[in-house]
Amino acid sequence: MVSLAPYVLKRPWLSRILKPVASWYVGASGYRKLGLRYDDLMEEERESVQIALKRLSSKESYDRIYRIRRAVQCSYQHKLLPKSEWTKPEEDVSYLQHIIDQVEAEIAEKDALDTASVIKKH
Amino acid sequence: MISRSSLARNAQKAACRSWAAQPLQRRAFAAAANTGAFESSDVSGLKVASRDAHGPTTKLAIVAKAGTRYQPLPGLAVGLEEFAFKNTQRRSALRITRESELLGGQLNASHTREAVVLQASFLREDLPYFAELLAEVVSSTKYTTHEFHEDVERVLHHKQATFNADVNALALDNAHAVAFHAGLGAPLYPTPSTPYQKYLNEEYIASYADVVYTKPNIALVAEGAPSQDLSKWVGQFFKDVPSASQSGQSLKVEASKYYGGEQRTSHTGGNAVVIAFPGSEVSNAKPEIAVLAALLGGQSSIKWSSGYSLLAKATAGTAGLSVTTSNLAYSDAGLLAIQLSGPAASVRKGAEATVKALESIANGSVSKEDVAKAVANAKFNVLDSAQQPDAALHLAGSGIVNTGSPYDIAGSVKAIEAVTADALKTTAKALLDGKATVSTVGDLFVLPYAEEIGLRV
Repeated sequence: MVSLAPYVLKRPWLSRILKPVASWYVGASGYRKLGLRYDDLMEEERESVQIALKRLSSKESYDRIYRIRRAVQCSYQHKLLPKSEWTKPEEDVSYLQHIIDQVEAEIAEKDALDTASVIKKH
Repeated sequence: MISRSSLARNAQKAACRSWAAQPLQRRAFAAAANTGAFESSDVSGLKVASRDAHGPTTKLAIVAKAGTRYQPLPGLAVGLEEFAFKNTQRRSALRITRESELLGGQLNASHTREAVVLQASFLREDLPYFAELLAEVVSSTKYTTHEFHEDVERVLHHKQATFNADVNALALDNAHAVAFHAGLGAPLYPTPSTPYQKYLNEEYIASYADVVYTKPNIALVAEGAPSQDLSKWVGQFFKDVPSASQSGQSLKVEASKYYGGEQRTSHTGGNAVVIAFPGSEVSNAKPEIAVLAALLGGQSSIKWSSGYSLLAKATAGTAGLSVTTSNLAYSDAGLLAIQLSGPAASVRKGAEATVKALESIANGSVSKEDVAKAVANAKFNVLDSAQQPDAALHLAGSGIVNTGSPYDIAGSVKAIEAVTADALKTTAKALLDGKATVSTVGDLFVLPYAEEIGLRV
């Protein structure tokens, strides 16, 4: 996946300009109004995410399920949560992405080692 | 038809081969002159011992004073063993495995009551790689939560199950618990009924590692590595190993004390009895015990005969019984253990025969010849264990971490040679008069109490 984010984040002036736009966009995408965090939206149908979910602590795992069930309930009823229960921007922290990255790095390393070719130097 | 040129080529090859083989041969002669003792040295605070038989392979081991005896909470030594060769700050567990596989090396971690041993066996020329690896394992393992849950705990359950299905191991473990209570008496694996989740997690293991993986507490022992190369690589790679624990805690070491007593455990997996007495420590302060162990014996050292040992002769007619006697030596205590296993009725007979054999030694009714044979056998056992590569590494390493230098094998052999029949008599008498340790596992309806076979507990 190609992303412009690293390019933008490297340039403080650019990220300062784009920050309000980004915040508006995140708000408009609506998941915070259902009480979710961004990492709750990760698609689970991947090996790496499945492994990463198992590595969450029991508290994090419980809270995640709770948020998702609450959001599903809201979705059934075609309602949003009351404004006081929306996810605040400072609460919307990443708790899963770094574990997924770590698992993906492990899988990539395994693939690389599985297909390594040995060059004898002596 | 064979052309002249091909013949010439073959001759050339043969000449080449014999020339190439020469250095190896010369090495073999040098090896014969080697005394087989470890040379120890001190490389920036880390004690290193090596001996070199100039073979093509090398074994390198770290012996840490971190066995079950020293663990502050049950299971930490096992946890430390399982976390060996897992993810480190510099590379992943998978990479460690694959790389050592590519080099044809073998990695192995184990723990005993006194030590945790991390061992690598590899081709001689790969010494730098494996020295670096062992240093990395000791100084920068990550002790991650997910590895604890995914690997360490899973393996621990299997090991626990295997251990607890083995009546011999269980009986010996119980015998240690009865004989030494805490310290040496701590079980090798936490029993299934131990609420180990309370005591064992990656943080506790990491802090235990911080305490035990320090330069004064570990020894690096090498078999088949030249000492100059070794000290060069060790100086380079073991710089990061701390010389004192970062948390400032230190290892709690308590002197062992022998208590004795009896423990009976019912088990459906077989029958085993361990009859034990206070034994001799590794430094072999009581050489009579080693001779006594050889004299009691139980296993024949020659084919098609029950051999000279008293227990082998006494139990020759008992069906399915297996008896072994050994002096389990530790740094400051020992346990002379007679292990019997087999069908319950046979084990009962064997236990009775054991006490009778001990009494006959105490009476002095053992022939001079048998004593001479036992002395020779005890000598062989000591020397043989000092020559077996793995056992020798463990022995040298634990000698260094406990006393500062490898154990003096020649000295203990001399002491064994000096053992007389009278000394054996008094020792056996003292053992029978003192408190015995009896641990029984299996069919408790048939297996005897210590009192019944005439032992004081």
